[in-house]
Amino acid sequence: MTEYRHSNTTRAVLRSLVPVICPPEAAPFGDAIVEHMTLTLAASPEVLSRGVTAGLAAYDLGALPRYACRARSLRGDRAERYFASWEHGPTPLHVQLARGINRLMSLSCYEQPEMMERLGYRPAPWIAEVTQRRLTVYRDDVRRQEAQILAPDPLRPGVRVKRERA
Amino acid sequence: MAVARPALLEGKAPRNVFTRHDHHGDRVLDADVVVIGSGAGGATIAAELAEAGFDVVVLEEGSYYQTRDFTADTSAMVRQLYRDSGATMAIGNPPILYQEGRAVGGSTVVNGGMSWRTPDKILARWERELGLAGIARDLEPYFERVERRIHVAPMDPEVIGNDNLLLKKGADAKGWNIIGNLRNQAHCAGSNRCAFGCPTGAKQSALVSYVPRALHYGARVYADVRVDHITRHGKRATGVIGTVQGSGHRLTVRAKLVVAACGAIHTPALLARSGFRSPSGQLGRNLSMHPNVKLVAIFDEAVTGWKGAHQAFQVREFQDQGLVFAAINLPPSILAMSFPHRGAELGELMQNYDRMVLAGMLCEDTTTGRVRTIDGRPQAFYQLAEADAANLKRGVVLLSELLFAAGARRILMPFHTPDLYGPDDARRLLEREIPASRWEVVTVHMMGTARMGSDRTAAVTSSFGLVHDADRLMVADASLFPTPIGVNPMETIMALATRAAGYVIDNAARFLS
Repeated sequence: MTEYRHSNTTRAVLRSLVPVICPPEAAPFGDAIVEHMTLTLAASPEVLSRGVTAGLAAYDLGALPRYACRARSLRGDRAERYFASWEHGPTPLHVQLARGINRLMSLSCYEQPEMMERLGYRPAPWIAEVTQRRLTVYRDDVRRQEAQILAPDPLRPGVRVKRERA
Repeated sequence: MAVARPALLEGKAPRNVFTRHDHHGDRVLDADVVVIGSGAGGATIAAELAEAGFDVVVLEEGSYYQTRDFTADTSAMVRQLYRDSGATMAIGNPPILYQEGRAVGGSTVVNGGMSWRTPDKILARWERELGLAGIARDLEPYFERVERRIHVAPMDPEVIGNDNLLLKKGADAKGWNIIGNLRNQAHCAGSNRCAFGCPTGAKQSALVSYVPRALHYGARVYADVRVDHITRHGKRATGVIGTVQGSGHRLTVRAKLVVAACGAIHTPALLARSGFRSPSGQLGRNLSMHPNVKLVAIFDEAVTGWKGAHQAFQVREFQDQGLVFAAINLPPSILAMSFPHRGAELGELMQNYDRMVLAGMLCEDTTTGRVRTIDGRPQAFYQLAEADAANLKRGVVLLSELLFAAGARRILMPFHTPDLYGPDDARRLLEREIPASRWEVVTVHMMGTARMGSDRTAAVTSSFGLVHDADRLMVADASLFPTPIGVNPMETIMALATRAAGYVIDNAARFLS
């Protein structure tokens, strides 16, 4: 775990990319999505988080020649066209950055509880239900397996015997 | 009605498990054996040796969790249980994303629990070509022992989910061989959370099997300790020096035998940065990866694949050609990140989540890569072979045909191409060139980087994992595999580790002197 925190630039660019990458229904969770990406990047290899930070800074400034403003200020079609220009970009680095940001943001988008709920994905109650069912229906087998794990079953007459004799 | 306890050793951490919070300064420990890594190899050898009376210390870089810690919070589980959040990559064209578990219990905490013996044809090859005479017969009792310990069994039919039933329906329609998966589970409950730590305790990972057994027989487990290097005196390994994560305290273990069980990526790096060299020149080479691709099929009916057991079946029709198929399930967030779609298009696609079947294939690779140690850290390099890319393409076509036979309406491919809407679309793929760079390839099976063999000029270790040209140093993980095995590797690792433990016990006087 590194001490990663979004820089102001990273945060602003990511926030501007939420409408480009996430579906429209995720719009209310933009800040939460960007915040969630902090957790992922903090747990990622440092080379990745540094690469994302540098890449997004380049992405931000790269809009200046074409749009006379930074990428973080682009909205609507202009934001869409600029991101697409990186997705199909002139170098593999452009493409990799766009793909990488798409992946990270999509992950964070569908980690939002409301987005999971929209898809009918409710794992917590399901886990609770099946856990209880297993421990009830298969109670005796579960206990037997736990006992088996600890039961003596030496692979060989061990060194304990030799030490005790010595 | 009375219920069983939730899982073994739940509650307060056992008294012989130590975490980062238990270190208040540098420490020095003495032990007969120090085992580096607590996964399929490390936990197994630790339990066997502890029961035999050896004083065993296990060091694990990851943290100690219990079953109750495994929640429905997918990304939190990924951050906690996977090395680098699963964002580890072998350099090549295409780059291959690989995942390693990092927690007490190692990758067994996050694997699917498939428990298969090494196929006979693989063992025959090891005997015939790699100087491992008699290993097939030797391993037989160890497979049986491992299967008993981790409760290898077929699935209870009532927990098989719709995604797996559709896979079976498609295989049956095609007349293809499909078998029930054997898994290390005691009445799997079907939560389909294997890859994020089994929240029911049903999967008999090392965390709930070999680790408790090792602890019961007196082993000490130190979590949150990264081993910096193995100490040595000449060619003899004498212990390890590690760093406690978070605090930076130093932990030194002096031991009569050192066992490296850090997996096929980290074991060669640890040996290399500790100054051990193999006369074979093979340390870090011979990396196999079982390249794996996934495709997504959309059906008309609700599938709700997240309810039901993980990978209940395997399609074995093409195993002789190096291909095995299975249905898997991923939470929406992990699935969404695998799609190239975005914006409204992503939203429309994800609305089909409940009607999706995610199917994957394992490819037995014909080429090898390499782990290099750069500034003490491992970096994997692996170039997908043309023959394997062709085999993957063939596998994608076959798996698509199976899914269409099961009733799929649309299939998304693991490379950038228009979606498929029928088996004819799938067959047309065979005529297309698909550049390697377009494939989205992942893996969780890394093998072979300290391969075993009797010839010290061609292998890094003996068949028991003893490092040639070193003393008191063993390897006990998938690094030992001389070739890819074409099936899930956990049981082979455990059987080899049990056999190695038997060797150490039989020769205890030598190792304890």
